[in-house]
Amino acid sequence: MSQGASTKGNRRWALVTAYICLLVFAVFFLFPPYYMLITSFKTNEEISAQRGTPLLIQEGPTLEHYRKLFFETDFPIFFKNTVIVTFFTVIISMGVSVLAAYSLSRLRFWGATVMATGVFLTYLVPDTLLFIPLFKVVGWLGLLNSKWSLVVVFPTLAVPFATWIMIGYFASIPKELDEAALIDGAGHFQMLIRIFMPVAMPGIIAATIFCFTVSWAGFLYPLAFIYSNDQMVATVGTVSSLIRGDVFHWGGLMAGALVAAAPPVIIYAFLMDYYISGLTAGATKG
Amino acid sequence: MNRPEEHRQAKLTRRQVLKGTVAAAAIAGFPHVRTAHAAGEVTLGIWDHWVPGANDVMTQLCTEWGKQNKVEVKIDYITSIGFKDSLTAAAEARAKTGHDIISLATWQTTIHKSSLEPVDEQVKYLANKYGPITPDGEYCFKHDGRWMSLPAPAGGNHSYPMVSRLDLFQKHAGVDLKKVFPASKTRDKALVDAWNYDNFLKYCEKLHQAGFPYGNPIGPTSDSQDWLCPLFLSFGSVPADKDGKIMLDSDGTRMALEYVQKLVKFMPPDIYAWDDAGNNRWIISGKGSSIQNPPSAWTVAVRDQPKVAEQLWHHDVPRGPKGRFRGALPRGNGIWKFAKNKSAAKDLLVWLLEKDQQFKLITASKGYDVPFFPALFDHPIWAEIGPPVGGQYNYPIRGDETIIVGGYPSPQNMGAQIYTQALIPNLVAKVTKQGLAVNEAIKWAVGELEGYKRG
Amino acid sequence: MSRVVTRKDAEVAASVTPVGVGAYRRFLKRRSTLAVALVTPLIVLIGGLIVYPFFYAIYLSMLNKAETAVVGLANFRFLFTRDTFWMVVWQSTLFALTAVFFKALIGFILAHAIHVLPDRRQRFWRGVSLVPWVMPPALSTLGWWWLYDPTYSAFNWILGALFGVHVAWLSEPNWARFSVILVNVWYGAPFFLIMYLAALKSVPAGLYEAAEIDGANARQKLIYVTLPMMRNIIAITVLFSIIVTFANFDIVRVLTQGGPFNTTHLFGTYSFLLGIQSGDIPLGASVSLFMFPILGVLAFFILRNVRKRATEL
Repeated sequence: MSQGASTKGNRRWALVTAYICLLVFAVFFLFPPYYMLITSFKTNEEISAQRGTPLLIQEGPTLEHYRKLFFETDFPIFFKNTVIVTFFTVIISMGVSVLAAYSLSRLRFWGATVMATGVFLTYLVPDTLLFIPLFKVVGWLGLLNSKWSLVVVFPTLAVPFATWIMIGYFASIPKELDEAALIDGAGHFQMLIRIFMPVAMPGIIAATIFCFTVSWAGFLYPLAFIYSNDQMVATVGTVSSLIRGDVFHWGGLMAGALVAAAPPVIIYAFLMDYYISGLTAGATKG
Repeated sequence: MNRPEEHRQAKLTRRQVLKGTVAAAAIAGFPHVRTAHAAGEVTLGIWDHWVPGANDVMTQLCTEWGKQNKVEVKIDYITSIGFKDSLTAAAEARAKTGHDIISLATWQTTIHKSSLEPVDEQVKYLANKYGPITPDGEYCFKHDGRWMSLPAPAGGNHSYPMVSRLDLFQKHAGVDLKKVFPASKTRDKALVDAWNYDNFLKYCEKLHQAGFPYGNPIGPTSDSQDWLCPLFLSFGSVPADKDGKIMLDSDGTRMALEYVQKLVKFMPPDIYAWDDAGNNRWIISGKGSSIQNPPSAWTVAVRDQPKVAEQLWHHDVPRGPKGRFRGALPRGNGIWKFAKNKSAAKDLLVWLLEKDQQFKLITASKGYDVPFFPALFDHPIWAEIGPPVGGQYNYPIRGDETIIVGGYPSPQNMGAQIYTQALIPNLVAKVTKQGLAVNEAIKWAVGELEGYKRG
Repeated sequence: MSRVVTRKDAEVAASVTPVGVGAYRRFLKRRSTLAVALVTPLIVLIGGLIVYPFFYAIYLSMLNKAETAVVGLANFRFLFTRDTFWMVVWQSTLFALTAVFFKALIGFILAHAIHVLPDRRQRFWRGVSLVPWVMPPALSTLGWWWLYDPTYSAFNWILGALFGVHVAWLSEPNWARFSVILVNVWYGAPFFLIMYLAALKSVPAGLYEAAEIDGANARQKLIYVTLPMMRNIIAITVLFSIIVTFANFDIVRVLTQGGPFNTTHLFGTYSFLLGIQSGDIPLGASVSLFMFPILGVLAFFILRNVRKRATEL
């Protein structure tokens, strides 16, 4: 897969430079998670004293922080809530996005292009502006302090981009498929399900993973709308349970942060190819 | 889908609605005949206490009260990290739905006063029994002549005494802090008077030379306001008087700024970046000789660095030319105007503020909570907790310190902005870090104050 | 949707007979009803949870502090007189433009680096590079905070061991700004990397071969083949990232809370300070709204350019 390199020497030089660059940035990208990992295994004593190098575990690793995380805080509840919220958010977001993307890209109607651009522009309105008016909306829905409030508001973070990805994918499917299906007597809805979705599956998977990541990482909305521990999600819960007053339990914080951050990383590791191909194909075609 | 989900923590047995009786009133201790309104349900959103076990005692007490009064009590514990409690108050005020009793951090009563139910009678009753509420509480809870919230029964008040290493002060500054501020009522007036800012500056110089500086943050954090604002007051520097007239451009301010300029030379350079735990970490690491903080630093030191912990003594702040002032962070519990069960809420809060309950809660907080009512200062815990034993005796005010909140005595509206927008630390940093001339910096601060007068 | 429409029907309907026109019209109507029906959930979601709150926020920004009277643009006029506000404007712009520039640059360089590798190796490096973007930013920023902590910073330990210096990562205004930008670049560069890598792969190899035959060297290939082919994707990712970076809240909130001395405040965090902490929600809303027109204009121009080029292609 080279870019038409001419001589062997050129190619080797290119490879060497490439590897150097990649190594440097790999260190840059992976150092913070590495440091979080070893901190989560250090004893409190080692963390608060300052002897020797902080880059390694010197006084023996401990599982104490993880034990406390799972057995002495409400972290399992937070994790469970995050899973529930994310599951429903993904379903709703994908439902809304796929239907809308299909409509905007294939069913030509007046205002479709404007709406498609408009969808993208909703990203201009940040959640830091919206959360205050949303107090009213969420209160009116009776969902203040409920994890279901997140299932309602998180889709606003995911749907615009997911729709845009899907539009890109659907738009790239040749029009002949439509007409062939029509001739065969398929209705539009059947076309969507039987033809488009299978063909656009990489894009759908990519959009799904995107919705998942956004929902899992949500921070400001849970911070604003939820205050009971039994409704709280992992991101906010980790911070609020493990910073008590002005006392920071760094070991526990790092442990909690890693466990809370792990699922997206794991999912991504398995579905990486789909994620990348879907994310990018939709973009380059859009 | 209109009620929040049931909360495991404080759900109690349900009972039928009963007509009130004098007996019930006697249990509550409040001379107010209970009516049928008091039964039903009361919801609380109160501060999540960071001391392990403290929340459980609160839950127990509320359960007890609920049983006696045939009211179901539900509690949510809301943290103040990330201003979560302020967010919750803002959400409930805007959505006009939420708990009956809501935790109100220092400025939240001011901010939400038009949505709160007045509690004058309740304050009068308690003050008659236990003495007047300390000035910091009055400043935060009383607005336009009416009391809009009650002191929080738990997590009510945390003040910022000095926390110093006895050994380091003895060795390098030649001061025996235990002698100046003993764990008893007998104090040597001469020694206490000698604990003033001029002498303190000399001690800091010596400690700095010895490699153990005094450290306190200068930044947007509340720890910064809680030592700098009282310091300025003790030099006679007032941001505005109680009518809102801006008084910052004064000799007192200049003296305070000049003093801090000198003091900062003997403090570590990182203080501008310290968060609220920065000074804790400083003293726990063993590098610091003194900070100003409630006993949370000591609590962590006991766990992580016991050798440091046993040398930590909490004591008064130095005196300035115009008095001795200590900073504090009052917290109130308010009742929303739209609360569903106001009378039960009022009764519950008053009951929790009675001596028996307060003593239990103070014990549960291991002395971290300081009450607003002077009659409650004789709780034994502060004399007993240690090591070092007696180290927290002077955590409640025992001497001539006036306890205030940063922003005092300006009108609370202005005070809220002075505090949350870190006017005084910003003013200090403009001089000590950015090298602005004192007059320039004061001019800038006066401009900011003009802006805070907006309604 | 049970009635089957055949192509023949459509052709018949196309010929202008009254009965045929009616049938054809019915077909059209049905299609656009379906179209509208499919888009409705999106419209409800965006209308109720973005558009309505947005207009409510505009309304809020026109109230006085106590929310008892409408004061029009007084909040904005007040903000314009505050030098802290202009600091925030400048800081947000600096933050967004610098961070996006470096994210794009790093993404571009790394995309090329990975592109040069043999296929099976690419997977591994792609994986490694995406880790920062997949971790929830609120949590990974905690890790960075720990790395920058004044007392315990690992960076300072390394610097101290190697050069004997000690950097005040979060307490010097310029270092604080650097630190915040660094975290954002760390978090966002992988996104650019992935987008550009895919775009690189979609550049037809034939173009490069043609260029070589014309005698182009590597640099010229980059300028005359790669960049033009990637213009659209570069424009879209940069626009998207500028918008999202301007609105950043988590990183500054966790690392510096806007300090030291308001030198790292962005619109989001300053609005939170004024609105929630100081209790002036209308003023906070005004701060947040300020960036909207600027970003809107930027988005309009860039998207218009992209569309034009897309139709040209």
